[in-house]
Amino acid sequence: MEISLLLNTSMLLTLLIILTPILMPLMTMTPCPPTSITHYVKTAFLTSLIPTTLFMYSGVESITSNWEWKFIQNFKIPISLKMDLYSTTFLSIALFVTWSILQFALWYMASEPHITKFFSYLLTFLAMMLLLTSANNMFLLFIGWEGVGIMSFLLIGWWYARAEANTAALQAILYNRIGDIGLILSLAWLASTLNTWEIQQTIHHTQTPTLPLLGLILAATGKSAQFGLHPWLPAAMEGPTPVSALLHSSTMVVAGIFLLIRTHPMLANNQTALTLCLCLGALSTLFAATCALTQNDIKKIIAFSTSSQLGLMMVTIGLNLPQLAFLHISTHAFFKAMLFLCSGSIIHNLNGEQDIRKMGGLQNTLPITTTCLTIGNLALMGTPFLAGFYSKDLIIENLNTSYLNSWALLTTLLATSFTATYSLRLTIMVQTGSTRSPSISPINENNPTILNPIIRLAIGSVMAGLIISSLITPSKTPPMTMPFTTKMAAILVTAMGAILALELSNMTRTLTTPKQNPYSNFSVSLGYFNPLIHRLSSTNLLNSGQKIATQLIDLSWYKKIGPEGLANLQQTSSKMSTSIHKGLIKSYLSTFALTILIIMATL
Amino acid sequence: MPFLHLSFYSTFTMSCLGLAFHRTHLISALLCLESMMLSMYIALSTWPVENQATSSTTIPLLMLAFSACEAGTGLAMLVASSRTHGSDHLHNLNLLQC
Repeated sequence: MEISLLLNTSMLLTLLIILTPILMPLMTMTPCPPTSITHYVKTAFLTSLIPTTLFMYSGVESITSNWEWKFIQNFKIPISLKMDLYSTTFLSIALFVTWSILQFALWYMASEPHITKFFSYLLTFLAMMLLLTSANNMFLLFIGWEGVGIMSFLLIGWWYARAEANTAALQAILYNRIGDIGLILSLAWLASTLNTWEIQQTIHHTQTPTLPLLGLILAATGKSAQFGLHPWLPAAMEGPTPVSALLHSSTMVVAGIFLLIRTHPMLANNQTALTLCLCLGALSTLFAATCALTQNDIKKIIAFSTSSQLGLMMVTIGLNLPQLAFLHISTHAFFKAMLFLCSGSIIHNLNGEQDIRKMGGLQNTLPITTTCLTIGNLALMGTPFLAGFYSKDLIIENLNTSYLNSWALLTTLLATSFTATYSLRLTIMVQTGSTRSPSISPINENNPTILNPIIRLAIGSVMAGLIISSLITPSKTPPMTMPFTTKMAAILVTAMGAILALELSNMTRTLTTPKQNPYSNFSVSLGYFNPLIHRLSSTNLLNSGQKIATQLIDLSWYKKIGPEGLANLQQTSSKMSTSIHKGLIKSYLSTFALTILIIMATL
Repeated sequence: MPFLHLSFYSTFTMSCLGLAFHRTHLISALLCLESMMLSMYIALSTWPVENQATSSTTIPLLMLAFSACEAGTGLAMLVASSRTHGSDHLHNLNLLQC
């Protein structure tokens, strides 16, 4: 009894600590400085360790219902927060990552005049994300969902004087909105069919109808940048690096996958939806990995890498393994945030240079940053016993030993090898070789404000996989026996990708000019997706809208069926009879032909 | 149909059509009227011969008298129209007063 009380109290205390820097300035009219916001988040992280350790020690879960919105007679929407494995673990991890990112942002955005507003935006985003993850009913989840979408828009367009930033923010909103349609569809279906928005009440004993599941998958496609609604994620790199690290690597983009994890009981017995998730995830992961191979902007490579890992998470959902997907979310947060922070440090030190073709030899001038970059890349590749290994290798093993679409299996393995290729390419071009950046930029990483977050996340990248996977009781038994090749499949394809990258990197040293071929063109232009879809779909929509407005409505109702049509009809008949009405005797005499007609008829 | 019947039947039809559809002059319409009358005269004349009804033999003469009056009236109207409209063109004759 005391444990659950302690769990609830500490969870609510954590959320209150997060909300204080947002609400206090509204009441006291004094702004909260960024350093104290960082301290708030640090305190919240330490407080959030209490419910997490309580959960891992005793497995206690709880649902807290606060105020109830009596919507109509029998449809009540309580503000209920659920504390279970996903909620408590994600809380701690999100707060840890946010603390590191905020500390980093103190250095990165130091010359920003509106830094307090930036930090409050990040904090509001965090509050919305935590609301999303701890929501017990779909209504609260939807509030959090929309909240993170809005904050993403505001943060991507932070430097709003830049046209590309505004375009990217708008793109993010539009693609997320298409996904929101799916979510609202599911909400409406749930409200009308099951009369509830509580997730516990949506479990079917027989197969769940496919329609709400399609809506949920569409929502996840929009928010988690699966193939089809993916262009906003690379474009979102227009925002500052702390925004990319927080939103578009660890927290916001996993909201779609998190939705599927939460509503997993509905998905579990519908094989069509599961297969759709599997194939969609496989396609996304391969497509993003292919695009990442030829990118030259360091942030875009990491963005495509995020997109590829999100596809992998979707594949895991399609395998009916929500807990493993959640494990991958948790470990991915650590090393992806660290990769972004390292890239932010590199960019600032090179005075705004983001092109990896103009970086090189940074291992000597930025040792700690580049070491952590290497650790992050190795964890991403799934190097044994780093953080990524515990989730990624398990996923590949499950993939190899289940009864599923073999095309999805092959594409996922291919994407895994591509992951190794582009990660190693990034490492080699940024860190090794001769320096290709101008020599005047003063490269200096002696500031503990940068180093501490990066080192903290590096320790997390190394140990988080082991800690989390050993403290969570798995809900499904992992496959224990498999052939040797299957067990080594992930490492083998990763090694093949790494060897390929090493071979390709020889080309830069020997100055061979690469020839253009269709495959490299496909990769560089991101699969031709952006110009095709952005122009074609909007042109078709606007054209059909114009046709409906002018030709269907105006033309038919006013001209053909309505007033002018009647006038046309009258005009035709009056034109025909006007020759008789002129009053000429000549035409009257021609009526005598009627006599002849009658004579003919009587013959 | 016997050939004679066909001939005055077709004469009547052609003349009536000539009365109905004509070109320029009023006098051609009057001429068609005359040919209608002619065909009717021949028809009326051959009818008592075929049917042996001798008391109807005077009817063509009556018809001839009346058609002469009618031709005279027509010619008088022709002269009147050429005095008012300047010629006997048919398209000048119009019921409208403007």
